[in-house]
Amino acid sequence: MEVVPLSVGVVSQRWDDQHLDLAAAAGQISGAGTEGFTSAVSGAASRFLTQWKRHAETLGTDSEARADGLRVVIRDYVTSDEAAGLDLFLLSTYVAEQR
Amino acid sequence: MTTITLPPQPCAVPLLTCRPSAVRECGGDLLAASAQIDDLGSFVAGDARVGDWTGRGSARYHETIAPIGRRADAMSLALRSVATRVDAHADELQRLLDRRTDLEERRSHLAGEVARLRGEITGATEDDAAALQAECDLVRRDVELFDADVTTWSSDLASEETAMVQAFQRVQEAEAVERIYGGVADPADGALASKPGADATPEEVNAWWDSLTHAQQQAIIAAAPGAIGNLDGIPAGPRNAANTVALDRDLADWTHTESLGELTDDERTWLENARAADEARRNIADRVDPVTGEPIETQIYLYDPAAFDGDGAIAISAGNLDTADNVAVVVPGFGTDAESAGYQADRAATLYESSRYLDPDASNASMFWIGYDAPDNAPWDEGFDGAGVVTESMATAGGEHLADTIDGLRASRDGEPAHVTAIGHSYGSTTTGHAAHDHGIEVDEIVFVGSPGVGGDTNDAGDTGIDPEHVWAGANSRDPIADLGNHGWVHGETVLGAGLGDDPAEDEFGANRFEAESETRGGAFSFGDHSKYFDHDTESLHNISQIVNGNDDAVEHADHVYDPWYDGVQDPEHDRDPTTPATR
Repeated sequence: MEVVPLSVGVVSQRWDDQHLDLAAAAGQISGAGTEGFTSAVSGAASRFLTQWKRHAETLGTDSEARADGLRVVIRDYVTSDEAAGLDLFLLSTYVAEQR
Repeated sequence: MTTITLPPQPCAVPLLTCRPSAVRECGGDLLAASAQIDDLGSFVAGDARVGDWTGRGSARYHETIAPIGRRADAMSLALRSVATRVDAHADELQRLLDRRTDLEERRSHLAGEVARLRGEITGATEDDAAALQAECDLVRRDVELFDADVTTWSSDLASEETAMVQAFQRVQEAEAVERIYGGVADPADGALASKPGADATPEEVNAWWDSLTHAQQQAIIAAAPGAIGNLDGIPAGPRNAANTVALDRDLADWTHTESLGELTDDERTWLENARAADEARRNIADRVDPVTGEPIETQIYLYDPAAFDGDGAIAISAGNLDTADNVAVVVPGFGTDAESAGYQADRAATLYESSRYLDPDASNASMFWIGYDAPDNAPWDEGFDGAGVVTESMATAGGEHLADTIDGLRASRDGEPAHVTAIGHSYGSTTTGHAAHDHGIEVDEIVFVGSPGVGGDTNDAGDTGIDPEHVWAGANSRDPIADLGNHGWVHGETVLGAGLGDDPAEDEFGANRFEAESETRGGAFSFGDHSKYFDHDTESLHNISQIVNGNDDAVEHADHVYDPWYDGVQDPEHDRDPTTPATR
């Protein structure tokens, strides 16, 4: 089995951070007010914001999937027979999502 | 009988219901979100790559993240383009509102003219007819011109609305985003590649910024606000735009994480600092210019919520630092950190109001500057025992930051140089003294108020490096902090090397002392009197404002503190009745 270095665990957390940040960005987009626009524009503005909230959420979900994928890689490695050493202990702390 | 043809009534001006300020806020939210998405693209291209991981799993991982990076880059460019268009839309709506106001005034005038002519015709004789018809013809031409202008205005509004709608629709769907922006280089990347290094002077930074196209500048503001938001040499306008993006993004990120209960201790501290910055900008923006009645313009000149081990760095101006005739930088002291930004913003706004009130023909900008690590152990919290351990080290470090800030303000302005005043309050006066003595700041006036000493190496006003005629000191006779400075020729510094330097209000220092008593002062020393220098309708604020405006002749001078060998320190201001000059 291929060796999985500790840096994979670190990067998995960074993907989680991206997920959080993009969820915040999605909230920011959906929270942007359209009340200042004229009636001729506000409908298009609302539709744009609704759609882009989804775009940002999708990016966030994709980021979370990358984090989850790396955690699967880590879990498979730390439970395998080939894994050994100090890094193994440290790597095992990344098996579950945490901040 | 002669017939006189009246001019027609001017047409009505269509209603325009909109709020440009709210539209601008919407654009700001979108720009901050685009910066967040841009961060994902940067992450994928950089830190997301795991260099020491090899094998099939690694290859598969790196293959799958590349499309996410490409999508994030395209989406950030698309959202940024819409945000920029929304901001321009806000500007155009404001212009249309202003034009509509002019049209309404013209319509009212023309309607009055038509009514007047109708009345005159009713009582006219045959002899009046020719002259009245000529007048009617003139007004008719004006009405026709007016009607044409209303048509043009309506057409301009419709065009602008159509353009805005199209900008929203153009990149609404993900497929369109990929088609238009997929693989497109970010203009910010090339521009940042040519950015001068960390050792560049503000002049070099300013020259670089001026060499960029408008599109490159806007791209950097959106994609990399941290690259220029606190960079000396960048003008205040773009610094404010970049710091606004950064602040709005931080508030969104950490508030969201807080709602999930996942904030780390550091993030909580940074969020509190970000909220203080938000409160500060609103404190200023909610007040109005005493001359124009318009909201006071704010500029976030410095924003770093994590600076100084979490104490934070924030500087926000009331007024436009790039264009103001008179610029004041207020340096606060003991107990100041980013969380006090709201309080400091009130002071900056009050100084702005006062200086504008006292000289309506001049333009002003007053900035509070929490740009250094100030002592936490304030005497009013911990007593003099706690504050007694304070040394000049923080003022020395802060003085360097302050000197850099003033160099940056000078280098980034075009046209006429501003009349710049550095105002150090409390320990901030020690910091200002160090900036002047150690680095030679390019200011026109230096004001020390409530000073516990201006630094051990600044023995007289001339040591500040500027003409002593333009070095000022304000000291309330009941302010115990202002009494901490060294007096006479035997003092703590002489004997033990202690203290924060000389009292600038003393005769031997050679500064101009101005009146700074408060009508609400008590009979004895009180820490409350240390915090009244920026209150409205006080001698202190009046005199500081006159100095800021360069109206030195209008400053009310006070007799100096002195320390005769045969007695203790004497303050002639102690027995003078305070006055309440109007500052608003």
